[in-house]
Order: sequence, then C-alpha cells, then structure tokens
Amino acid sequence: MTVATTQSSARQQGGGGAGSGNLYDILDLILDKGLVIDVFVRVSLVGIELLTIDARIVVASVDTYLRFAEACNRLDLQQSSSAKGLPDLVGDMTEKGAKGKSKGALTGAAETFAEQFKKSSGGDEQEKEPAQRPKTRSTRRGGGSSE
Amino acid sequence: MSTYVYGIVLDSHPARVEELRGVGETPGAVRTVDADGLKAVVGEAPPDLRAKRRDLKAHQDVLEALIEQGPVLPMRFGLVADDERTVAGAVAARRDDYRATLSELDGRLEMNVKVAHQRDAVLGALLRQHEQLADLNERLRGRGGGTRDEQIHFGELVSEALAERQRRDAEALSAILGEHAVRESAGPPVDGCFFNSSFLVERDELDEFTSVVDHLRRTLDPVAEVRLRGPLPPYSFVGGK
Repeated sequence: MTVATTQSSARQQGGGGAGSGNLYDILDLILDKGLVIDVFVRVSLVGIELLTIDARIVVASVDTYLRFAEACNRLDLQQSSSAKGLPDLVGDMTEKGAKGKSKGALTGAAETFAEQFKKSSGGDEQEKEPAQRPKTRSTRRGGGSSE
Repeated sequence: MSTYVYGIVLDSHPARVEELRGVGETPGAVRTVDADGLKAVVGEAPPDLRAKRRDLKAHQDVLEALIEQGPVLPMRFGLVADDERTVAGAVAARRDDYRATLSELDGRLEMNVKVAHQRDAVLGALLRQHEQLADLNERLRGRGGGTRDEQIHFGELVSEALAERQRRDAEALSAILGEHAVRESAGPPVDGCFFNSSFLVERDELDEFTSVVDHLRRTLDPVAEVRLRGPLPPYSFVGGK
C-alpha cells in the first residue's frame, strides 16, 4: 500500500477527456483490458508492465511486516483518536457483522456500510428500506440470493 | 505499412474520424475499414510504436471521441495487423459476437473506481479496533520496539488484520456501487489500491454514480482515498469472461 499523496483527484467527467494528467489512473485499463484479436501482433510493453505489476506484491513479506510494526510503534494514538468521529468503516462493520452472523459476512458488511453511508448522507426520512434493492444487476455474485 | 487498430463499431455508427489524430510521432490520420456490417477504426502503425504517454493518450483520445458518437469495442493498446484486409477478415470472422457485445454496450460507459487506504490512518483504525494489537503495540513500544522477531510477528498480525479489512471494505464497496451499475468487472490491485473495479453504467445514470462515489470519498476520508475515472470506453466489458 502506498501512502497516496495525489490530491484527491477525481471529478473529471462530463464529456470525458482523459487529459494527460489523468492518464496514469487508467493505464491498467488501456494496457490490460480492451479487446484483443489474436491474429494481431501486440507492441512490446517492456518496462511499462512493471507499473501495473509491482503493486500486486503488496502485503506478505518480512519487509512489509517490519514496516507495519514500525509505523504502528510510531503512531500517536492519542492524536489519531481525534479521528474518532471519522467514519471508521470496519469498526462498524465488525460489530454489526458479528451480531448479524446468520446473514453471512457479505450481507452483514454491506448493510452496515450501507447504514453508515445513509447516515452520513443525512437520509432525511428515516430509512426508506432496510436493504436497498439493486435496481439492475446482472448475474454477478448473487448478492440477494442468500437472504 | 502495417495497420494499427483502435476499435470496432457498428456500420451504423457515424464514425466521424476525419478530424482525429492517432498514434505516432507525427500523429497519423484515422480511418475506417468495412467488415461485414461492422467498421474497424484504424490508422497507420508507426514503426516506433511503444507504450509511451503520447501514444497511449492518442489511443485513448480516439476511443473517447468514438464513444461519444455511439457504442464502440475498444481495443487493448498496441494491436497491429499486417494490413487492412487482415483487419477486415478478422473482424468479420467474429461478426456476430462483436455485434452482440456492441448492442449490449449501447448507451453504457465504464466508470473505474480505485480505492487506497492511507497507511497511518488505517493502521490507527486497526489498533483502535483490535485490542490485542493495541496491547502488543504498547508492549513493544515500551521496550523500544522489541526484537526483530517480535516486530516481524507483530507486523504479520497487523498485516493479516489489514488484509481482512481490505477484503471486507472491497465487498462493501462492490455492493454499494453495484447498485448503480449494470455490471462490475474487478481488476487487479494496482498502485497500492486494494480496490480497483470498473462498473458499466447507463449513460443517464452517470451523474448518480458519480455522486455516490463523491459521497464515498467524503465518508472515507482520510482513512482511504477514492479515485474515480470516467466515463470511459468500456475496456473492461468487451472480452473477458
């Protein structure tokens, strides 16, 4: 995981236009997705593939462990506890997730997150519906089937 | 001279490409090749074609112009055929598949969402959440960090807790964003992002999707950074199963 310092980017939309400043974030799509026809030859990508691959290594290595340990040791929890009011996504998810075990991890997690999400969106009229239904969802991941 | 391929459209697509400029040091003209009810959008392949910013951007720009005019199957960057006849033949050979995909993609665009945890913020959250980790952290800190083995052991526990959190955060993100999309295509974690997923969204629901992402961004700040790119040509929805 990187400590991303990029300014909280986004909001490029409307008429599209991946201005060159925005190209970086879609490199993986341009280079790894898209239609391929196998009788065509592909230009060499030497060098650039590293960009997309290096991050896949991420978590499991002694170096990472040491870095995590060191970072935790340095953390000033007093100070970071001032962040308490901030949405502590997983904190919420775990509590409720455990409570609602019967619903399965995914449903539990999704719901609690959804609740939090709704709360913070200032959902005026008390919850409209406990579990919002997907409007259009194709065959992916039968999220609803476990209900 | 070999032929560079940008994408495939229906022959009913306006494909106004005269003004477009493609890849190459001297950006080349873009034209179409008829292929049995479809059109391939092509240009000359420059001899020095590489995955450089200039050419990646040209590829993307041509496709963005096309998607504004109608549905398009975007090619992966860098595909080159011997000549136009080869292109026409290869496209015509898969005509039915391509037409079916194009009709499914009509009026829909790709929105890519990447989310990265901010290291210190998320570690702080983990420690507050896991008492055992917090205790262990205090004990090690009280002893100047502890031995290397202790540090590795502690770091591994933290890493496991983080992986678990990422897994659950990703599930929650998929569930929320999936409600505003026709389909999701998960990508590999890139650039430190534990979540990298593309969503196929109806054109008239793009604003709604964007505002949901904006909301997520505010909700998750500063524990996670949320990046949205789009609307894009549907790179993630043209091939893979």
